[in-house]
Amino acid sequence: MPDTTPAATAPHYVIIGVGVSGSQAAAELRDHDRTARITIITASRLPFYQRYDLPRVFNGVHDWRTFMVHQPGYYSDNRITLRRDTRVGGIDAKNRLLHLTHKETVHYDKLLVASGGRPYVPEHLVDYRRLMFGWGSFEDAMAVRQALPDGGHALLLGGDMIGLDLARTLIATGHRVTLVAGEHSFWPHQVPATERPKYLAALQALGLELLEEGDLGGIVAVEQSVAGLPARRVVFGDGSDLHGDVVMPFFGLAPQVEFMAGAGPDIERGLLVQRSLRTTDEHIYAAGNVCQIWSEKDRRYKFYNGWKNVRLMGSVAAANMTGGSDEFRSNPDAEALRLDDQGRIQSPFWEYQ
Amino acid sequence: MLGDPSGRRADSVQARASDASAEPYWSDDPRDVGWVKENVPCQTACPASTNIPAYIRAIYEERYGKAYEINREANVLPGVLGRICSRPCEPACRHGWSGNGESVSICHLKRSAGDLKGTGHRITENLYAPTGKRVAIIGAGPAGVAAAHDLSLLGHDVVIYEREEVPGGMLRYGIPEFRLPRDLLTLELHNALRLGVTLKTGVSIGNGRGETRLFSLLDDYDAVLLATGCMLPSLLPLRDAAKGADPVKGLKDVEYGLDFLVDLHRGESKRVGRRVAVVGAGFTALDCARVSRRLGAEEVTIHIRTTEEYIPVTYDEIFEAKRENVKIKGLRTPVSVKLDDNGRLIGVEFVQNRLGGWRAGGRRQAIPIEGSEFIEPCDTLIVAIGQITENDFLDVKVEMARDGNIRIAGNGMTSVPKLFAAGDYVKGASTVIEAIGHGREIANEVDAWLIGQKRRRQRVRVTPVEAPERERAWDFVARQHMPTLPLGERMKQMGEEVEQGLTRDLAAEESKRCYLCSLRYEIDVDRCIYCRACIEVAPRNCIKLVEDVEVKHDGSYGALKETKDWNQVAAIWIDNNECIRCGACFMVCPVKCISISRCEIVTADV
Repeated sequence: MPDTTPAATAPHYVIIGVGVSGSQAAAELRDHDRTARITIITASRLPFYQRYDLPRVFNGVHDWRTFMVHQPGYYSDNRITLRRDTRVGGIDAKNRLLHLTHKETVHYDKLLVASGGRPYVPEHLVDYRRLMFGWGSFEDAMAVRQALPDGGHALLLGGDMIGLDLARTLIATGHRVTLVAGEHSFWPHQVPATERPKYLAALQALGLELLEEGDLGGIVAVEQSVAGLPARRVVFGDGSDLHGDVVMPFFGLAPQVEFMAGAGPDIERGLLVQRSLRTTDEHIYAAGNVCQIWSEKDRRYKFYNGWKNVRLMGSVAAANMTGGSDEFRSNPDAEALRLDDQGRIQSPFWEYQ
Repeated sequence: MLGDPSGRRADSVQARASDASAEPYWSDDPRDVGWVKENVPCQTACPASTNIPAYIRAIYEERYGKAYEINREANVLPGVLGRICSRPCEPACRHGWSGNGESVSICHLKRSAGDLKGTGHRITENLYAPTGKRVAIIGAGPAGVAAAHDLSLLGHDVVIYEREEVPGGMLRYGIPEFRLPRDLLTLELHNALRLGVTLKTGVSIGNGRGETRLFSLLDDYDAVLLATGCMLPSLLPLRDAAKGADPVKGLKDVEYGLDFLVDLHRGESKRVGRRVAVVGAGFTALDCARVSRRLGAEEVTIHIRTTEEYIPVTYDEIFEAKRENVKIKGLRTPVSVKLDDNGRLIGVEFVQNRLGGWRAGGRRQAIPIEGSEFIEPCDTLIVAIGQITENDFLDVKVEMARDGNIRIAGNGMTSVPKLFAAGDYVKGASTVIEAIGHGREIANEVDAWLIGQKRRRQRVRVTPVEAPERERAWDFVARQHMPTLPLGERMKQMGEEVEQGLTRDLAAEESKRCYLCSLRYEIDVDRCIYCRACIEVAPRNCIKLVEDVEVKHDGSYGALKETKDWNQVAAIWIDNNECIRCGACFMVCPVKCISISRCEIVTADV
């Protein structure tokens, strides 16, 4: 006798990722469909939390619960299954199966890939990853907090907007910050070469010490330092070096799509989606920093970053996964970098709730 | 966690003992042939049909020389292919199938067989008696060398005519030394040709003065084999270019990739600008980009029509190129070149693409988006979008196929009696392993034509195996990575090999990951008591209750018709396509009704 209970017949929506877009989609999926099974799969050990707020660990906020977006009962109250510390190894789109790395398979009716981006480390620096501190999770933030002494010296490589946000806090909390600026500075914003000096000057006005990677022959190595000097040493192509207590790469985000390779949906750097956020597979959607959307204006596939865009993508994807026909429209203001009247850098990337 | 070498040795002893007690038998049964073709996907995908599970098992047993010889049975240049093979076996590997993790690092293991075998290793060659027949081969590239080796093995007197001063063809002139050390290439070529092949280098075949004429070779030899490869670059199809015209001919800062590499490897001094654009998506494009970095280019970008996911190069090559600061930009097609008033290159105009459907041959289409043109500044352009065959040297009328390549019959002979052709010269630009596989295939055909009968054919060797050869824990071993030269060392000399080879421990660990797909697990239905114990321990849906099995037209088994109704169950069947050879079913069976046999396609005398 086939099982016809609602739980057995209700569609199963699976979301990969518990960031802003994935969490927004889960909430709206529940609003759209009260009976659906909703499962979030995340490699994170924590439920949805405010990654944008992580610099607060340097303001003495060390309890992970402070960063939580939802109350503890949120997921069970909304009948959302949250599977933490779980990694997706591959997708069998033909049979609509997720293969988890611990060899379990999960069936889906509609899949939302909202796995976000991981901090990008240029390929020539990957060998030194273990000597650098990431900034992608609460655990990363606490590790930096422990490694960086009060008044200590942080070396920031690249200088994307995530890193510059942290730099503001570090300077405000009495740390010394040196930025090795390069082509990834101000990512995801693209600053015209003519305006770049203005923005770099604004950073110096904040208290950052500034070096241009290009003037030094590029970063060639990160090394453990010798006793008596700060713990890390960055070596440049011209033979010069720089010491600091921590070295942190801030070269923007790279979409986490490795598990989608060969699954079927088109990928350039991220998953290519229509404005409906549907991929080339009718059962798979993508939202957030993992997807690229065609821009008529720019005549290319674009990433749309920033909290507002990412959250909006979660909403659009949820609506369309449940039969809607919404389209993602980016807020142009969400992409603009500017200097205010006092010459301070203002970025929508830093404006979040 | 690396394996315990002493533990491996103990296993090896056991394996040898079991080998000694097992009596193989030979089969031409289509069910056995079909089983191997379907269930050993790596070997099926290999154009040379290398017995991959066998050599990986030999590496696990630390019998590196044996592993090398198993390779050599299919491919006379294992050390070379262990470095530069396009690895069609790896995407086919069952370990890479959805849900099983990453494919086995087959190519790196192949290399480790060569690297780790003992010095003074004994090469095995099964020589046939001299036939008195003479064969001329034109071209000492991979196809020509493979064919020469096999024909000399079969007792024919072989002479190779090579235009360049040293043999190797694309291997020597098209692949940079940092990927393929020349001393290794020379050694393996020597091993392939030392059975008595006469090598005449610096001899050009053609109609010009001082050139040797093809028709005279046809008079002098019992058979002539053309293996001249694809040595002409495909022209860049720019927007306003006339059909058949080269739109970049004569431009100072634009060069075709193959010419660039050939000139470099002939010893010419090459120069590139500060900003290099490479157009193309194959190994030649990547090689040109990485060579450009070593020649001092600061910004090197490869521009591709589709995306990284669909380009026919290995992930390792892409990653190493990126580590060397080569950028790859996708979804763009060049439409024009931009020159300054002095005729110097200042940029390339591209049109933005979107991904389309699939082209014949399994490649993605790129569809230009109207009005989306943009310019990328550069001061050197290298065009590496493919190669075609060169036919000017032909002085006999030979029938050509529609694609412009030479047409051959099923036995490899062209429309001219005695004249055969093999490798890229027949198939168009392909890969080294395809050229070797085709060279060997045509060598067999030439031999059969000369002798009047086939002397070798492929059969299935079935060897009973006493116990599973894998452990369940090995399914969770991660893919081992190839150690590479530090970045700082790479740019110092063009010839510094980047990949350093697997250590013994890394090779042993990686060898554990192979599922040994040639092991066939079968249930003897007459002895099975239907206790279901095997189904309960199976890690995958690999043991099935079936009511019927499809029998294909060639007699081999096809799809299973499963049932959940016990009244309909005709057998419990191990689905060898799902099976990962963990051996759990064999170990748990209370009545020992599960048997294991090793099924391998091997070349044997008729």
